[in-house]
Amino acid sequence: MHNYKSMKLMNFSEVTGPQFHKVHVGVGHRLDAFSSGVLVLGIGKGNGVLEHLCKSHVTRDYMLEGEFGKATDNFTHTGRVIEKTTYDHVTLDKLERVLAMIQGANQKALIMYSQVDLHTQEAYELAVRGLLYPHGKSPPILTGLRCIHFNPPHFTLEVQCVNETQKYLRKLIHEVGLELRTSAVCSGVRRTRDGPFKVENALTRQHWTAGSIIQAIAHFSKATRKIRKLEMYKQTAGQLNSNAQVQEQTRSQTDE
Amino acid sequence: MALVSIRSCGRCGFLLGLRAYATRPVGTPRKREQQDDTPVFQYVGQHRKPQGKVFVWGFSYTGALGIPSFVVPDSGRKKPRKYQLTPYRLDTEQKISSAACGYGFTLLACNSRDLTKLWGMGLNKDSQLGFQRTQHDRHKSYDYVLEPSPVSLPLVNPQETRVLQVSCGRAHSLVLTDSEGVFSMGNNAYGQCGRKIVEDEVYSGSHVVHKIEGFNSGVTQVACGQDHSLFLTDRGSVYACGWGADGQTGLGHHSKASCPVPVGGDLAGVKVQQVATYGDCSLAVSTEGQVFGWGNSEYLQLASVTEATQMSSPRLLPLRGVGRVRQAACGGTQVAVLNEEGEVFVWGFGILGKGPKLSESAIPERVPATFFGRSEFNPTVKVSSIRCGLNHFAAITDRGELFVWGKNVRGCLGIGKHDDQYFPWRVTVPGHVTDVACGVDHMVALVKTII
Repeated sequence: MHNYKSMKLMNFSEVTGPQFHKVHVGVGHRLDAFSSGVLVLGIGKGNGVLEHLCKSHVTRDYMLEGEFGKATDNFTHTGRVIEKTTYDHVTLDKLERVLAMIQGANQKALIMYSQVDLHTQEAYELAVRGLLYPHGKSPPILTGLRCIHFNPPHFTLEVQCVNETQKYLRKLIHEVGLELRTSAVCSGVRRTRDGPFKVENALTRQHWTAGSIIQAIAHFSKATRKIRKLEMYKQTAGQLNSNAQVQEQTRSQTDE
Repeated sequence: MALVSIRSCGRCGFLLGLRAYATRPVGTPRKREQQDDTPVFQYVGQHRKPQGKVFVWGFSYTGALGIPSFVVPDSGRKKPRKYQLTPYRLDTEQKISSAACGYGFTLLACNSRDLTKLWGMGLNKDSQLGFQRTQHDRHKSYDYVLEPSPVSLPLVNPQETRVLQVSCGRAHSLVLTDSEGVFSMGNNAYGQCGRKIVEDEVYSGSHVVHKIEGFNSGVTQVACGQDHSLFLTDRGSVYACGWGADGQTGLGHHSKASCPVPVGGDLAGVKVQQVATYGDCSLAVSTEGQVFGWGNSEYLQLASVTEATQMSSPRLLPLRGVGRVRQAACGGTQVAVLNEEGEVFVWGFGILGKGPKLSESAIPERVPATFFGRSEFNPTVKVSSIRCGLNHFAAITDRGELFVWGKNVRGCLGIGKHDDQYFPWRVTVPGHVTDVACGVDHMVALVKTII
């Protein structure tokens, strides 16, 4: 006997049309054509939370593949070669020293762009706990940088950054090459984490189906709730501050 | 009418398209022969070693930075630069191994066997840089030396002896050599040069460079206070001479000493590994990691053992929670020690490095390691040496980074601004900092390049 239930016309999407349509999809932090990795998308009501994620200045993790020996016009291995240099003097020790110097400069930038008056005790308290962070506009800053793999001419860096663009990261590889008195190009940029969204939870091509997407959204429901709460807290905190100021003013007036 | 115009525009567009030339699409690799044609440049050889460089910053009008164009500009259009707020490279012919900053002057030493081993620049009104012959009159000496000029030492074997260390005080300097002992130059009004005090001696234009006698064994370290001098011998004993009004000589009295006398008190029989002083307070660190102090205590430097404002005899300082001390540094009103774990403790008066609220402390306060770059990415960063200027501190970490904090007297911190710094702040120097010398209003850093 045939299973007539499964052969109902209603079960064929060619008859009924796609199950989900008129879905608004938004993209989170950009990932350019040369790069790969985690890309956060928002569906429907999630687009609002996406905006909050973009505003919240989360850090992002990248894996950068580099290659010593040439410099190109667009900092990638596919560009037009401008110059070729030797790289036999480069050792892991020297590379680590250069990375330490770059990291030192970035740590300084982190505090400088935090827009806190550094002459106050509060600034000191925040700095001790490592909470001095650029909450407003800032140029790209690396909060962490280290070398994962070194096999000349190829090397891999792990970078943790805020406010960056992928072109900035490719330029970083080029600058690492310059500091080592050679040249370097970027052969790969891969984002492994965007805020709370890690590469382990990312959906690959085979899983781009409605079922897995719904599962993924459910998996991250806690994270999205937190982002929404944080943004609401920031807004209410702003209101509370202004309320407190108003109260202080009225109190001082009554005192007088 | 509208339709016609659109169509004609469309045709124009199509015609324009025909006129455009074909280009190779972006991203496709060129043919192999074209790639291999580009020449390969070599900027650095395989066996290049890192070079030593000297960076200076601070107040330049005394000439202490050693860059004459800051004081007397090369061309009439340029203006003199009073404060150098960020590190500036000082070109030296030789590799400088030791540097010391005094009150408005600097000494640089190279530990080679060449005939010129010592250069001085800055204030020379008390001949603290020796006799600097003027161009026009060979009997006169310059009062201000604007660029590093050789200082001549009366060595018996100038081609064998090496200069190990230099130290500078307010108006005198000490030079330590490996086989010919200690030489002193400059003001001797209180006997700080270790020679007999001459009444009404004129120090400006003086040729006197005195070889200090009176030690029972070889001297391994010298330290200059404001108007006194401390010497550490290889047997671990400490000698002192100079002004003693605050008891900074530690000889048990408050009068001057014009030749080095062994220091007793709690230091009797103790093997000392390091002495430190810059103002009127003196510290010694024993090989066991204990700290002994004497001298001025008006700013609570020695408040852990005494309520008095001066102590003329060394006493052991019971520092709680500090552990074994490896290095100590003394400023004018503040003190810092570094323990074996690479942690920095500060106390005294002034900007101590824990925010604007902490302006004085009688007990050691630990400066949190997060300021020196310790984080989840680098959990093992520690401080490897500390130095004190008159009103500020400097710390060098094991990763070669320099951190400064304290009062920014005439831009001496080198952080690019005139504001005081209430917690440790990185100084951007292109290279690894190996040593730093702190003065009153200027600093010198000895840096090793990365490549």
